[in-house]
Amino acid sequence: MEGIGDSALVVARSLQSGRRLRRQLADKLFTGALSGIALFSVVAVLAIIGVIIVKGLPIISWSFLTSPPAEGMTAGGIYPMIRGSVLLMVGTLVIVLPVGILGGVFLAEYAGTNVFSRFIHASVASLAGTPSVIFGLFGLAVFVLMMKMGVSLLAGCLTLALFTLPAVVFTTENAIRSVPESFIEAGMALGLSRWQILWKIVLPNAIPGILTGVVLSTGRAAGEAPPILLTAGIYYATGALPRGWEILKQPVANLPYHLAEGYRQGGVIPEAIVWGTCLTLMLFVLSINIWAIIVRTRVRRRQRW
Amino acid sequence: MRWLGKIFDLSVYITGIMVSLAVLVMFYYIARESAYAFRQTFCWGYRLALLPGDAEPSATPNTAHYSSLVVVNPEGADGLDEREETLPAPTLEQMRSEGAMLATATPVASELSQVRPDALYRDDWRTPKPAEKGDRFLLLGYASPEYAQSTMYLAWEPDHSFEPRLPPYRLVLRLVRAPEGVSVQPFEIDLKKQPSGRIALPAWIARSDAERTQGYVFAVEAVPQTRTFWATLRGLFTAEWAPTLIYPRYGIVPLVLATTLMSLLAMLFATPLAIATAMYLSEIASPRVREWLKPTLELIASVPSVVLGYFGLMFVAPSLQHWLGQALGMESGRNLLTTSILLSVLAIPVVASVTEDVLKTVPESLRESALALGLSRSEMLWKVVLPAARSGVIAAVLIGAARVYGETMIVWILSGGTAVLPSFDSPAAFIRSLVSSTRGIPDTIAIEMGNVTFESVHYGHLFLLGLLLFCITVIVNLAALYIGRRQVWRV
Repeated sequence: MEGIGDSALVVARSLQSGRRLRRQLADKLFTGALSGIALFSVVAVLAIIGVIIVKGLPIISWSFLTSPPAEGMTAGGIYPMIRGSVLLMVGTLVIVLPVGILGGVFLAEYAGTNVFSRFIHASVASLAGTPSVIFGLFGLAVFVLMMKMGVSLLAGCLTLALFTLPAVVFTTENAIRSVPESFIEAGMALGLSRWQILWKIVLPNAIPGILTGVVLSTGRAAGEAPPILLTAGIYYATGALPRGWEILKQPVANLPYHLAEGYRQGGVIPEAIVWGTCLTLMLFVLSINIWAIIVRTRVRRRQRW
Repeated sequence: MRWLGKIFDLSVYITGIMVSLAVLVMFYYIARESAYAFRQTFCWGYRLALLPGDAEPSATPNTAHYSSLVVVNPEGADGLDEREETLPAPTLEQMRSEGAMLATATPVASELSQVRPDALYRDDWRTPKPAEKGDRFLLLGYASPEYAQSTMYLAWEPDHSFEPRLPPYRLVLRLVRAPEGVSVQPFEIDLKKQPSGRIALPAWIARSDAERTQGYVFAVEAVPQTRTFWATLRGLFTAEWAPTLIYPRYGIVPLVLATTLMSLLAMLFATPLAIATAMYLSEIASPRVREWLKPTLELIASVPSVVLGYFGLMFVAPSLQHWLGQALGMESGRNLLTTSILLSVLAIPVVASVTEDVLKTVPESLRESALALGLSRSEMLWKVVLPAARSGVIAAVLIGAARVYGETMIVWILSGGTAVLPSFDSPAAFIRSLVSSTRGIPDTIAIEMGNVTFESVHYGHLFLLGLLLFCITVIVNLAALYIGRRQVWRV
């Protein structure tokens, strides 16, 4: 009897240890698979960027970046496109900064928490997820045709500003909300009015977060082709820009538009120049973003809470 | 200082209300512009001819010597470079010299009393009228004295690319008057039910040029049937998108199906990868690794989509064509599959970063209790953390899907650009349509808006497409917002 009991125990133990082994194996496999997939994603991402760099780098030179296209786009550089992209970005920032920040302040401090504020949140969130081509359509209908701006830098900036608006509003709101409650309470205890609290306490502490958010979303806008395609782009632009405010009424060449329209025109631009333009556009957007990320981390280190 | 604060308050309120109404304003203006789609004047055209009694069954008005074209179209007819409306109807002399014995002619009048023997033409063009007005062409038919057979056929067919089912008219071909001394059953043919065909008639011979108007008189009539609005709406649910034809087709079904199919496929690729990456980042990776991985992932999110599109065009498409082209019967690397792959590259960082944020909000206590109950780490992740974060993960996938659904440049560059209906007949046919050229909603808007006449019908249809896209993405985003707000572990 005892023998039987012993062997039963042994079998049970070995079964149990088998199960444990299986569980350990499954555990290892699962975490291994997760790490593998994550590694794959990251490597794929880096590979894409790497290929663009490798293919684009040979043509990039000082003269490529500073001379206009020549011989019907088959030679020369991409200076007018870079200049146009910078102009568009500056214009977009000028428009979106005040509107977006005020909107964010409204959401964070004025809207309260009720049905109405939930409606506002839903409406800004759905604007944030709206495809860029819809903004292009709106810009075309309202800015270009209805307000008679024509295809122009101003119409493009307004369209891009609208495109970046929801992101700016949300980052501003988050930045303001992340200012510690105790700061505000301290201000209230000192007898400051709501507007003084906002102006003297909340905004100064929130401004780094707001700025990086604004820059990040403008970076995305700088790479989007569809809004520009319908509102501000021009393919052949080699001449000098007009002086003063006239510049706002002219269409501008720019990097994403150049790539899109170049594709529409059907392979006139040689592949090397296309890779070079791709790399320039990518670096243009990445440099904006990296700058914003660096500022964000430095500011975070300095924060006193 | 006090009034400054008041001004600030006021400007914040004004801007805030402007911002919150922005989406409605956009919706209003895009809907308003899409009203141009409903200003369609429907064109139609028919080719008619008399054929000899011994004509082959396959003979069409196109093969007849003197066929007439009746067209309601400012652009002319298909296959003709310019309008030939002043071409006179053939005289008997002319017919004799060319060996032709049967002819049709139009008097360019719509009432029998207005027919003049000295003003007969071969073809008739008209500018389209509003759909509520209708239209009527008269057509004469006669044979020359050389014609010896006792019967002849009246044959009809739609102008080359014309589809009789689309316009808001009831199109009718009828006998208005039979010549004296010829007994023939009156007929009335519904051209929507019988777009092309022929009908046998007793022959009638014109003895002199003046007598040409005394013979058969037929009429092609467009009787208003539905409103322009309904016809336009019904036209949307057809399977052909060809807005540049002389008789334009605005069927959006292939575009919607293609965009939906490529988004589904892209999310099928991206979802497992993105969720696994997010789980690795938030649950397994050491802080040092995470510090490097997360910005790298954010890096790809900031690569412009037009660059991704070109990368796909110059790198992915050729390699896919090289490795899989033979096996799948690909004609070109630019197809639905390649598009989906690049779209998934776009979706992965979006979904992964939102999922990671969601996983971070799962309370640590849940993980600790799971481990305390003796679960291994994988069991804890699979059976506790993931289910707890379920609604947030679904929201992340929806956000990614909305982003992919409206992506323009990748689809533009990689889809190939032919609007065809994917085939669901058999698995093989389905796979073939996955690797063939296609065209989606956003790229169609962006491409065709470049060469469209502003405020035309085509322009209106592009805005209509935009409105549809807008509605779909807003609904998906709101669903994500709603689902993501529920926190399962609080239940």
